[in-house]
Amino acid sequence: MKISIIKPGLLSTIQDMGRYKFLSQAVPVSGAMDELAHRLANKAVGNDDHFATIEFSYADASFKAETPILISYSGDGAFLVYNNELMPAEKPLFFSAGSVIRLINNAMGMRTYLAVAGGWDVPDLMESKSTYLTAGLGGVNGRKLEKADVLISGTILNEVSIKILNRLIERSLTYPNWRISRESLLPEKRQKIRVVLANEICWFDATSILSFLTSNYTIDLRSNRMGYHLAGKPLVKKVQKELLSTAVTPGTIQVTGSGDLVMLMADCQTTGGYPRIAHVAAVDLPLCAQLKPGDSIQFSEISRDEAEELYLERERDLSLITMAISLKYIKT
Amino acid sequence: MIKEERYFRTNIPLRIYGLSEKSVTITFGTEIDNDLLDHITDFNHLLLENSFSGLITTVPAYTNLTVFYDPLIVMLSDLPGEVCFEKVSAHLNKIAAIEKEKSRLTANHLVIPVCYGGDFGHDLLTVARHNNLLETDVIDIHTAGYYTVFMIGFVPGFAYMGGMDNKLATPRKEVPAAKIHAGSVGIAGNQTGIYPLETPGGWQIIGRTPLKMFDANRSQPSLLKGGDRITFKAIDQAEFNAYEMEI
Repeated sequence: MKISIIKPGLLSTIQDMGRYKFLSQAVPVSGAMDELAHRLANKAVGNDDHFATIEFSYADASFKAETPILISYSGDGAFLVYNNELMPAEKPLFFSAGSVIRLINNAMGMRTYLAVAGGWDVPDLMESKSTYLTAGLGGVNGRKLEKADVLISGTILNEVSIKILNRLIERSLTYPNWRISRESLLPEKRQKIRVVLANEICWFDATSILSFLTSNYTIDLRSNRMGYHLAGKPLVKKVQKELLSTAVTPGTIQVTGSGDLVMLMADCQTTGGYPRIAHVAAVDLPLCAQLKPGDSIQFSEISRDEAEELYLERERDLSLITMAISLKYIKT
Repeated sequence: MIKEERYFRTNIPLRIYGLSEKSVTITFGTEIDNDLLDHITDFNHLLLENSFSGLITTVPAYTNLTVFYDPLIVMLSDLPGEVCFEKVSAHLNKIAAIEKEKSRLTANHLVIPVCYGGDFGHDLLTVARHNNLLETDVIDIHTAGYYTVFMIGFVPGFAYMGGMDNKLATPRKEVPAAKIHAGSVGIAGNQTGIYPLETPGGWQIIGRTPLKMFDANRSQPSLLKGGDRITFKAIDQAEFNAYEMEI
């Protein structure tokens, strides 16, 4: 399967589940900012979760199917449109060669993931296909997608992908009647971000901790795949200590020298020297990935064990989705 | 004077805190120190040799070691504990117990060839003048040093090193350079370091190494790792070119 990029959009890169094995060499995790949407897009075409997708930021992008394609999308930055018809998300979509598909704006969020059956095929670098723009690593020559780029899918399709594809072709359908319910995996109040308090929490005075957990923070313009600056009440340290550089990870919330909050995201450095006030619960990191400059959030505290339980629960739900799709297509 | 607190002398139970659902950090001390570094390096080696199922990777830092794992696999393991934090902690404490009986591994020693001054080190004169030295003195002092790699961080392959002679200490540039060539050896304050990638930067550049400090296609992309000891060796332009040919 093959597509060509007609319009690349603001920032479109190849991403997967990231590079974890090279953190000690200061290679960031990278990977999909909204890992949940990335995985759901993959699941909808019968892919493994780690297959590479395209991460689009906002809309204003379009591409052409150069061969028949089986794709799916998930996320909140855009809707897919074909022949002026809105295409449903989290569903396998079949298009014949020559079809032009556009992304139009979805005001809900920022990032959208496009999966293809077999995954987008770019070379593996350090065990991942993810693009890390700062060092020009991974993806398509370490860069964002450009006009006229041609992307092909991996040639080996999972059995489920083949079955999905054949059934759509047999019945001359663009998509089946089932879809994955992404909403059921996301909390209703999406501006409420659950956090676990971090190791340096006692470096801050009580008023600061209270305002961290009760006031609004707004995503600043200085926000990108590395992290978000959050505008809000600055926090005050009660101890004049400095932190020696230590490992940080996507979701870590650091407090800079001026008391401002920085939420680290997928492309963050592997180590940091600012005290950490909290860590975003892994299950709420996809919500953060959809935040745009100007969006407001509040933090609410949960315990370390609760965060882990939520994570394990989410993983169980995700494996049930895979099982359900495969049962639909493969007789056991 | 109060002696610096060193947790690693009495290291069971370990001081561990959660960093995320997928990682914990073990604190071994509070200050930058070569003995502490070697202790962390030893512990890291032992852990990697005696890993637990679900371990993904480890990240050593100045005073601690962070352990990344897959919670789904850890939960399935028979390590004691109700939650991942307890299970992983139990394993790490077992490692701490083995370690006491083992002698320290010898640190890796690497020699980094550097072509000092000229087009490769535009700021060699700045460093010399700032410290009332001749350019050749700067090279002599820099190559006489024995340096310790404390950790890799900041950008892929960048080594935080200790051990530079204070006689070379020079403040950063007031206006950072837009482009610093990969392999450039610089000084900032009382630190020395090597730029692994072409990036902007404010360090005073005194030379360049022909070695690739970071190469994504190598099995160990970063040439240096935490715990390594290094020395610099002065080479001339011809030797530099010969190295580049080899690489």
